[in-house]
Amino acid sequence: MMLIKIAWRNIWRSKKRSAIIIASIIIGLWAGVFLIAFYNGMIEQRVRTAITQEISHIQIHHTEFNKDYDPKYTIQNSGAIYDSIKNIPDVKSLAARMIFMGMISSASGNSGIKLLGIYPDQEQSVTGLKDKLIQGNYFDSGRTNQMLIGERLIKKLKLNLGSKAILTFQDKEGNLASSAFKIKGVYKTSNSPYDEKYVFVRVHDLDLLAGLPGEIHEIAILLRSNNSLNAIQTSLQRKFPDVLIENWMQISPEIGLTVSVSDQMVFIYLGIILLALAFGIINTMMMSVLERTRELGMLMALGMNKLRVFIMIILETLFLVLVGSPAGIVLGLITTKITHNTGIQFKAYKEVYANFGYNDIIYPELAVKQFITIVFLVLITAIISGIFPARRALKLKPVESIRK
Amino acid sequence: MNHTVIDAHNLVKVYDEKTIPLYALNGVHLHIESGEFIAIKGPSGSGKTTLLNMIGGLDVPSTGEVIIDGTNINNLKGNALIDFRLNNIGFVFQSYNLIPVLTARENIEFIMLLQKRSSKEINTRVNELLKQIGLEDKADKRPGELSGGQQQRVAVARALAPKPKFILADEPTANLDSVSAGNLLDMMLQLNIQEKMTFVFSTHDQRVIERARRVITLEDGKIVQDSAPKKITHPMYEN
Repeated sequence: MMLIKIAWRNIWRSKKRSAIIIASIIIGLWAGVFLIAFYNGMIEQRVRTAITQEISHIQIHHTEFNKDYDPKYTIQNSGAIYDSIKNIPDVKSLAARMIFMGMISSASGNSGIKLLGIYPDQEQSVTGLKDKLIQGNYFDSGRTNQMLIGERLIKKLKLNLGSKAILTFQDKEGNLASSAFKIKGVYKTSNSPYDEKYVFVRVHDLDLLAGLPGEIHEIAILLRSNNSLNAIQTSLQRKFPDVLIENWMQISPEIGLTVSVSDQMVFIYLGIILLALAFGIINTMMMSVLERTRELGMLMALGMNKLRVFIMIILETLFLVLVGSPAGIVLGLITTKITHNTGIQFKAYKEVYANFGYNDIIYPELAVKQFITIVFLVLITAIISGIFPARRALKLKPVESIRK
Repeated sequence: MNHTVIDAHNLVKVYDEKTIPLYALNGVHLHIESGEFIAIKGPSGSGKTTLLNMIGGLDVPSTGEVIIDGTNINNLKGNALIDFRLNNIGFVFQSYNLIPVLTARENIEFIMLLQKRSSKEINTRVNELLKQIGLEDKADKRPGELSGGQQQRVAVARALAPKPKFILADEPTANLDSVSAGNLLDMMLQLNIQEKMTFVFSTHDQRVIERARRVITLEDGKIVQDSAPKKITHPMYEN
């Protein structure tokens, strides 16, 4: 208890110096916590957008389909598979699709596209395509050969709403099939490359052209929660061994990689901040030890053993950090909470963010696990920072120190 | 019944042994009985502090040995030596060296806490010592709030707290005015007379020498005079 009392009082001996290092700790951790939350928010948003608007949680294909998108590789017994998945409680919605790698041509040019034949209601329930329309309307049930294209593509091809364009793709036999489609609506997502690549038409306008009536290439599944992803994927794979069942990390490895790297990035960000703080703490404590050379020598002369001296210096360092850390962490959490509700908008960088598939509004968030990691790393930093000045104190010789 | 508390044999402390040897101590023999009140005097550089440091286990002799109450402290290393000092030797330094962040009471308690004494025992002892040094009303003051003389009294109480075999006081009056120095020395002498506490002073101060029953004079690292117990004229001895 006495060591705790001495250590606590010692950190207030040089109030100005302690205040400076405590302020550094508060600002450093505040920035650190918020930076991590901001980064999380960015990653989480990209993943959420990718899952809910683009690739879903799980996709099912013919085992050969993904190799070169050959249209002949349709899903066998797709109706039975679809009906079976529909009844799984954790599945929120699902959509069947035909997929062709093709080309869109207009009088002003052409562009490579990924042509998706969709069931409009199913697609709306999985990707909310209708909600992304910025011009025109969703598919009319009475009319044929309507298409929805992205804002970036319509600009690129210098087309307008209601214009017609030729869609060309390979049919089941490997022959080119093409037909004119009218632009019924223009959509816009937060992912510009996606908007330039994906063209949606109804599946019934494609299947006969492709020579694949009633066939589909893909079933996209949206789950109620990502937590059940592995269990459902495993169970489906067991149930339907002849098809390829992939989760979003397998479908889009770059997003999976971003997520797995994000954990490491958190450590790197925090590590850099804590390293900078550690140097500040070590410097402060070294000065404190050097200033107290005679006092420490006296304590050792009187009978304070090395372990106690070591503990006292470590406690002083720990107290210094513990005074600043809660304030820094709490400020970081408050800032995160506020900005999580309001979002942080980067209007000026909207296009830049969109080019990388990110929304221009970021909602910072911090996971409990990360919070615990931060607290743990702060404590470790404090202890490690205390070791150097404590070792310095241990090297003092009472007889020499007392003379100083 | 007096017994030997300090027995130093042929103490030599030489610096720069391989180049130009400088002898801080050169063959010192010293024998101190319990209850003595000794002043070690001599000019600056005569080896007084070096001798005290060796007796206190703070420094090691180049040759020779120091035996404290039957224990050769030169054979003790690290924490064993620190623990020995804690339980057997009291120190009073020239510049008080109290822990500035602790109150007078806490400074006295501190040593006994290191000894892991019970809180009841510590309380009783601290109250007793505060009374002896006449600072009961200043018990909760920190060193910065006390005068030099008061701080040195607390330092003496701190040295006495663990009930050491003897107290080494290195120029304890050097930083005090004459009234404070006189009061402090009277208090120490009283402790010596009443409690038979052994005091060994290193000093230039005539007031210390006047009160000492034995005066050892050092010059160039050697004892040149070791006065036999004398009749003291100081009034405290007459009571």
